[in-house]
Amino acid sequence: MCRRLGWSFWLALGWITLVLAAAATADLLPLPRYDETLTGPPQAGPGPDHPFGTDGLGRDVLSRVVYGARVSLLVGVGAVLLGVLVGAPLGVLAGYRRRATDAIIMGVNDIALAFPALVFALAVVAFAGANLLNVLIVLGVLGVPAWVRLVRGATMVFSEREFVAAARVLGARDRTVLWREVVPNVSLPVLSYAFIGMAVAIVAEGSLAFLGLSVQAPTPTWGGLINEGRPLMENAPHVVLIPSFVMFLTVLAFNLIGDRLRAMTDVRQSNLEPVRRRTADRLPARPHDVEEGVLLQVADLRTHFTTARGVVRAVDGVSFTLERGRTLAIVGESGSGKSMLIRSVLGLTPQAGTLRGGHVYLDGQDLTELDDGQMRHILGTRLAAVFQDPMTALNPVRTIGAQVMEPLMVHLGMKRRAARARAAELLASVGIPEPARTLRRYPHQLSGGMRQRVTIAMALSCGPDILFADEPTTALDVTVQDQVLRLIQRQREERHMAVVLVSHDLSVVAEWADEVIVMYAGKVVERGPAATLFERTRMPYTEALLRAVPKLTDPAHHPLRLLPGRPPDLAHPPSGCAFHPRCPYARERCAAEEPPLFQAETPDHLYACWYPVGTGAGVVETSPEMTGASGAAEALKAAEEAEEAAELTELAGLARSPKSPESRESRESRELAEHETTDVIEGADSRGR
Amino acid sequence: MIALRLVRLLLVLLVVTFLSFLLLNLLPGDPTTQILGLSASEEAREQLRRELHLDDPLFSRYLSWLGGLATGDLGSSYTTSVPVTEALAERLPVTLELLIAAQVVALGLAVPIGVAAARRAGRPLDQALTALSFGLLSTPVFVLGVLLILVFAVKLQVLPATGWTPISLDLGWNLTSVLLPAITLGCAQTAVYARLLRTDLIATLQEDYITLARARGLSPRRILWRHALRPSAISLITAIGLNLGALIGGAVIIETLFGLPGVGRLIVESIFARDYLTVQGGVVLISVGYVLVNFAVDLVYVAVDPRIRRV
Ligand code: SF4
Repeated sequence: MCRRLGWSFWLALGWITLVLAAAATADLLPLPRYDETLTGPPQAGPGPDHPFGTDGLGRDVLSRVVYGARVSLLVGVGAVLLGVLVGAPLGVLAGYRRRATDAIIMGVNDIALAFPALVFALAVVAFAGANLLNVLIVLGVLGVPAWVRLVRGATMVFSEREFVAAARVLGARDRTVLWREVVPNVSLPVLSYAFIGMAVAIVAEGSLAFLGLSVQAPTPTWGGLINEGRPLMENAPHVVLIPSFVMFLTVLAFNLIGDRLRAMTDVRQSNLEPVRRRTADRLPARPHDVEEGVLLQVADLRTHFTTARGVVRAVDGVSFTLERGRTLAIVGESGSGKSMLIRSVLGLTPQAGTLRGGHVYLDGQDLTELDDGQMRHILGTRLAAVFQDPMTALNPVRTIGAQVMEPLMVHLGMKRRAARARAAELLASVGIPEPARTLRRYPHQLSGGMRQRVTIAMALSCGPDILFADEPTTALDVTVQDQVLRLIQRQREERHMAVVLVSHDLSVVAEWADEVIVMYAGKVVERGPAATLFERTRMPYTEALLRAVPKLTDPAHHPLRLLPGRPPDLAHPPSGCAFHPRCPYARERCAAEEPPLFQAETPDHLYACWYPVGTGAGVVETSPEMTGASGAAEALKAAEEAEEAAELTELAGLARSPKSPESRESRESRELAEHETTDVIEGADSRGR
Repeated sequence: MIALRLVRLLLVLLVVTFLSFLLLNLLPGDPTTQILGLSASEEAREQLRRELHLDDPLFSRYLSWLGGLATGDLGSSYTTSVPVTEALAERLPVTLELLIAAQVVALGLAVPIGVAAARRAGRPLDQALTALSFGLLSTPVFVLGVLLILVFAVKLQVLPATGWTPISLDLGWNLTSVLLPAITLGCAQTAVYARLLRTDLIATLQEDYITLARARGLSPRRILWRHALRPSAISLITAIGLNLGALIGGAVIIETLFGLPGVGRLIVESIFARDYLTVQGGVVLISVGYVLVNFAVDLVYVAVDPRIRRV
């Protein structure tokens, strides 16, 4: 906690303590009285007798600053206390009760906020009398609306959290809930704002004093000191500079403390603040051959992020190739790195704190070697992308026309008129009715499906060779999903492009993809032609994904049945095979050693697993002795049947099954032979139990 | 929709004027002492009170004052006998010029600073700019004013420390006389706006549509100015409206500090002269102006953000 607040926080706290201590013990300090004239020569600069010099009447400036601190701090603390005491209960009430209470309190509050505070303070203090109490009360009251607003906001956030709801459901009285659950949580934002509020009050008091409307002479105030010093500016600038500087430091210190405290509570901000370190370093790539004649070759691609939690390996050594006219699907759970893979191929990863490695070849040209300008040209003309959520994919404050025409004008050098005509054609080609009218509209005026069509039209506008579609239909209505996918496929055929389709919906993948890559924890765990991969699944993770495909009996719009267990933490991935904590077939070797990509018996089919599903035959590297494939297939079938019956919770428990005595027995036998089939059988056995 | 807003506006205006009226009438102090002096006889005061309707019920006085407001008659100053509306009308252009010039300075500095900081978020330039705006934010406006006078008027002697040349007299001198006050007043706002813009831009730059704009091969400069700035400008506009209160408060001080004959200085002078009616008129003018500007900001907001615009 101390470290997180930073040195500036402690420095600021130190300064405030110093000022506070000096103000409190001013009478005890060896200082001349603040109103004692001719303690030294008038207008003398700082020296040993008068560390801050003397003013026009020869009064000691240090003494006056220290006594002035009393007024400033008293008003600062007092006004905030008053504001909190009145504003916080009102805010809690409004935020907790909502409805009418909220409406009334906030209505009054909004009107109160409509007054220019300082002008009002001026008028009131002037007529009620300029003394400490009046200034304090006026500034305190003027602070109330801001307090109400702040506390209400914080209360609302917390009263929506589960623990408050739970307490309410359990029948706790409102007051108890408020004191036990809400108040403690609201206190940190309140504390943070209290410091900022003190800074505001000190400045406001200073302003009043500067105008001569705060505590009256002879009591010194900082604002008053600065005002008095003005005529001496030419000959004795220290008289005005020193109180100014002290005041600045004090206000800064209060603000800083408030700001640091708020930064601790504000999760949103810490997420948005980019990591400070900037690395342009490249990770070395493993040696590889550049293949001839393929459209896209990705070789050992890596993208790592430096975060506060450590290095996140979002993409960790991915390789694949893609030919013209083909569709490659990338599947995996969310968080498996598939979206990041696409961004990484396109070079769209955030720059700060990112480590990239590997190569991306487009027609043999290494895109990772290009400079920014060249890469932009490639991005504009040869590669295109469509993202998941059409609601966020279009700029909400620019017209569709402006957005669709832009790449045409930038990359193809079209004139406005030509670009407009072309944009209308593009919209028509993706099936948007009334294209000319749509060009003039804003994104929020279109339905989700229409917007996704627009983003596709934009992606296709400069005739790309490859379209990267990241979950292009996930956010859409089921009825629209199919239309959009058909549209992409039709465009693929017409333009002879290649499509990279990221999806977690295996039914979509099965229907459209030629090749499939399965990703887990940033790595490719299985890869192959779609048909082979689905029929002869080797990797247990793929098997689990397939099993999770929604059945017809599932409610509509039910994207994915949950796999047991949690997706891995990419900052601290599990050792060995990253899937082992969730894998029903996991054994000791899985946690110790990472499986490489093995070549399956079928061509172009690769998988990363020590004990693949449904094998026996065809494994080239691992097991020289193999049993018949038929036995394995039977085992797999049994396993599947058993699985159907098993509850999800039981399944989750299976990940731990190797530790049970039953499986230890069989482990010995298998370790002798390293026999994949036994593995499956054992899995089936334990499932049946 | 607009009609509803107008009704709301009217309501707020009524409350604002009533509260200003109430507050200044409930406070202790007797205007008759001010006008007739301490030595005046009780009968003379009684007479004057009747003339000024000071004994009427508060509400009926408010109504007649409101009626006067509608016809532009806010009474005449007890001390100088100058009609309040006239005095305000004379001072208003100065204040308006100061406020506008300050906003121009503030936005002129804040947009480049905010954009530069957001583009290099987390890097040294950003850190330096963030620290600078934090420092500016913590500098009371009179402290900044005094410092600027010290540097530019006293030491360098390039700008006048005080004084005002009306725009009708000489444009050049007018601008010279408004420059230092505007910079002083604008700087504090710069910090507010720049910080806001930076945070907002950093958030906007992480939106999908920005990544997709990059995927379309658009240059960072184009993305920043055409794609990111406009959504972020919307929060900026709101901030401008909300900040007006602080700006007006600052203007009162700046006018006093730099000796500008504006509404703020008139209010301060009238306070010291115990000139109730003028103070009241000034406070009402400022409150009403504040409410109206915020109303206008709401309208601009609608124009800039098509998501709110009615189809
Ligand atoms: S069997 Fe082992 S290597 Fe294969 S997926 Fe399971 S944990 Fe990984």
